[in-house]
Amino acid sequence: MGIFSRSKQAQEQPNGASKGSSRREFLKTAATVGAGAAVGAPAVASAMDFDFESFMQKNFRELSDQELQAVIERLERKYSKQYDKQVDVSAIGPMDGVLYGYGLDISRCIGCRRCVYACVEENNLSRDPEIQWIRVLEFERSAALREIKLEDGNPYYDHEQVPAEGKFYIPIACQHCEDSPCSTVCPTGATWQEPDGIVVIDYNWCIGCRYCMASCPYGARHFNWGEPNLPAEDVNPDMHIIGNVPRSRGVVEKCTFCIQRVRKGRMPACHEACPVGARKFGNLLDPNSEIRYLLDHKRTFVLKAELETHPKFFYFWGTEGRS
Amino acid sequence: MANGDHEPDGDRHPPIQLTIWAVIALAVVAIAGLFTVRLEHHPESTRDYPPRPLIADGEVTLLPAPEVPDDYLPCGDCHDDVERETGPTPRELEFEHEDTKLAHGNLWCLHCHDSANPNNLRLADASLVSFEDSWKLCTQCHGRKLPEWRAGVHGKVTGNWRGDREYVTCVFCHDPHSPPTKPLEPKPRPRRPEEIVLRADRSGGA
Repeated sequence: MGIFSRSKQAQEQPNGASKGSSRREFLKTAATVGAGAAVGAPAVASAMDFDFESFMQKNFRELSDQELQAVIERLERKYSKQYDKQVDVSAIGPMDGVLYGYGLDISRCIGCRRCVYACVEENNLSRDPEIQWIRVLEFERSAALREIKLEDGNPYYDHEQVPAEGKFYIPIACQHCEDSPCSTVCPTGATWQEPDGIVVIDYNWCIGCRYCMASCPYGARHFNWGEPNLPAEDVNPDMHIIGNVPRSRGVVEKCTFCIQRVRKGRMPACHEACPVGARKFGNLLDPNSEIRYLLDHKRTFVLKAELETHPKFFYFWGTEGRS
Repeated sequence: MANGDHEPDGDRHPPIQLTIWAVIALAVVAIAGLFTVRLEHHPESTRDYPPRPLIADGEVTLLPAPEVPDDYLPCGDCHDDVERETGPTPRELEFEHEDTKLAHGNLWCLHCHDSANPNNLRLADASLVSFEDSWKLCTQCHGRKLPEWRAGVHGKVTGNWRGDREYVTCVFCHDPHSPPTKPLEPKPRPRRPEEIVLRADRSGGA
């Protein structure tokens, strides 16, 4: 009653003039403003390059098959035009009876970083500002006799040749935890674990709050602080919608085990790039896979086991001492 | 307090009793809540994926060994007559053999090469193997590597994790005369955070 009683008082002023704030006046003004917004909004939106369909797109997990098809077609049109090459966006689902696991032989890794750059090319990472999903940390061998602390690892080593004397190397990317803290803390449900074990991000749904980055104990998630810069000639046109589609400013991204490759039976790009065979990949549910062989026969560990995230990225020693 | 006195209820319930009742009520609510409220610990995918059986597995193939260079073989060209007999004693070689530096443990040439059959390699029991099957010679001493190599844990199986895949014989990565893999030049280091500068319009740039 407050507004309207005041308006009555306004009307009862000594000089008898209304202040123009009656209920009727209010509704008239509101209608005018509303009509103006409805007319002007599309013009403003197109001037700001606003994609209405993208804005209203549902979470990937809630899209119906027709909606998903429409999204794929829209993205293929958009990226084919933007990068001037025929882009193919896939939404291929997980295979039954598959849980992906990764192995890394730290007796073999020489720290050459070929995996890092193979990942950058395969997954359409921003070149400038630079984002790298894999970080190779260099450690002192003598320190490892007591304890390996991840915080002591140096990713910025710059030698003429690797491996450097007295050092060993641990590459780190997303561990695809079975009990991932990132998917637990995401406030919008933009990141989750797929049935085949890959932790994925719906880049359209991510609001960029970076809670997931705070919760990840491995520093495996990366944020697009700036507009990603991806030269057209470097674009990999073989994309997956929750994998290596180009991202925009303000979303989080990370390793997806090359979801666009592994769901078709291929190896991840980092595995193919490794010149010394330090990387192993396969289906944890297949007892004949190379990942199961190394889990059965080699001394294996996971990073930060005390946090009970249960990573599916296993580090091991292929050879202990001179072979 | 005499019978019939009706004091206000507030005086009959001192604060300590109210507090106890409040704590009990809160505990009941909390325990009931534990049974009803579930945190989504790791949200399952609710996407209705159609069943998708494993794609067909393929074959695992051992790729052919690399060609031995022409100028490496024919040992028989020089050692086919009595004037140039090969001697069995391990020693420093000279003349035609200078280019081959041998740095493979305590081995010398005739541990692996056969002087009577220079186009073959010899196993410890004096049987011959071709250069194509040189892995049989390597695994004779490096036996632990054989099952690991077959499983893909030593070396690398390339191609697909499901489908056709290939692996290679020892000499693809290891020079038999100097087997340890050679150091490589590393790719560039990542930018430090302070080296990444965003322009005012939030586009990239260093």
